[in-house]
Amino acid sequence: MCGVCGCADPANEVSMTDSQTGVKVLLRDDHAHDHGHDHDHAHSHDDHHHGHDEPHVHGPGGEIISLETAILGKNNEIATRNRGWFEGRGVIALNIVSSPGSGKTTLLEETIKRMKDKADIAVIEGDQMTSNDADRIRDAGARAVQINTGAGCHLEADMIAFAVQSLDPQTGSILMIENVGNLVCPAMFDLGEKMKIAVISTTEGEDKPTKYPHMFRAVEWVVINKMDLAPHVDFDEEACRQNILEVNPGVKIFCLSARTGDGMDAWCSSLAELKA
Amino acid sequence: MHELGLARSIAGIAEENAKGRRLKEVRVAIGPQACVERGALTFCWDLVTESTAISGVSLGFIDADNDTFVVREIEFMEEA
Repeated sequence: MCGVCGCADPANEVSMTDSQTGVKVLLRDDHAHDHGHDHDHAHSHDDHHHGHDEPHVHGPGGEIISLETAILGKNNEIATRNRGWFEGRGVIALNIVSSPGSGKTTLLEETIKRMKDKADIAVIEGDQMTSNDADRIRDAGARAVQINTGAGCHLEADMIAFAVQSLDPQTGSILMIENVGNLVCPAMFDLGEKMKIAVISTTEGEDKPTKYPHMFRAVEWVVINKMDLAPHVDFDEEACRQNILEVNPGVKIFCLSARTGDGMDAWCSSLAELKA
Repeated sequence: MHELGLARSIAGIAEENAKGRRLKEVRVAIGPQACVERGALTFCWDLVTESTAISGVSLGFIDADNDTFVVREIEFMEEA
């Protein structure tokens, strides 16, 4: 275990598994996090020099330097690079977000089967553990890599940059990024996608959008899945639509059931119309 | 949760800018839409800085607009 911050929990590892070859690569080991453990103090503290460029003032305690450094700056830089790569190559990257169990993977499986002859789809799967989802996507007929975030609760831009090298999505293809099931953190982390799409299901209740407004504000499309179950769980579609539009008036809403196929045509044709 | 990663990023930015000098406080500006929970961030800050060069440095908060989330300033210890 690392004596500096105790970060040797194997669950902190971030790895990527290629569902075709089964090869697993470590993306971040215990020491790959941001502060890098560069705690060298061999230099002298004696010289209080003012040679640096940062604006600074003297406060009651000591010198204050103003920084305005974006805390998500590193992620955003890589996301911007990803976005440029996607645009340059003509790949439509979509960041699919939802709570666990809303049916993201089933929706992707059905989408892949239905669009087999119309679109080339590749998938990046994000989960804390297991490569179950990437295996399901491969069985549905698309190329997939699985990213396991370990303790992490969302995908970050560097993971996408790495996964894209391995997947190598072709011009005109759709890259589906299935984020870790979580309606909170993925809203904060830009991956370089064209847009975020939220999936909610009828079993979750109509008020998900008002409970998690950050996420529903960050998306351009919302899919309401498991419509076949609506009558059994007293789901009020109109109330759900109103809640979605209350937090994000410009959003496009799809009501469907990935299981029965109802509503899948409208979803697939909207996907087919997207331009990189 | 993601506050742990955010605390690590803040610690990285603070250490990088401190250039080895002793810090007193790191002040972070957070807007209401930044999606950041201050209590969780403080808890994680103590965890990630423990036994590091910036152990004991306090984390301060400044109210900001919208989704602002930046390290606004760092304050050094008074030097002899």
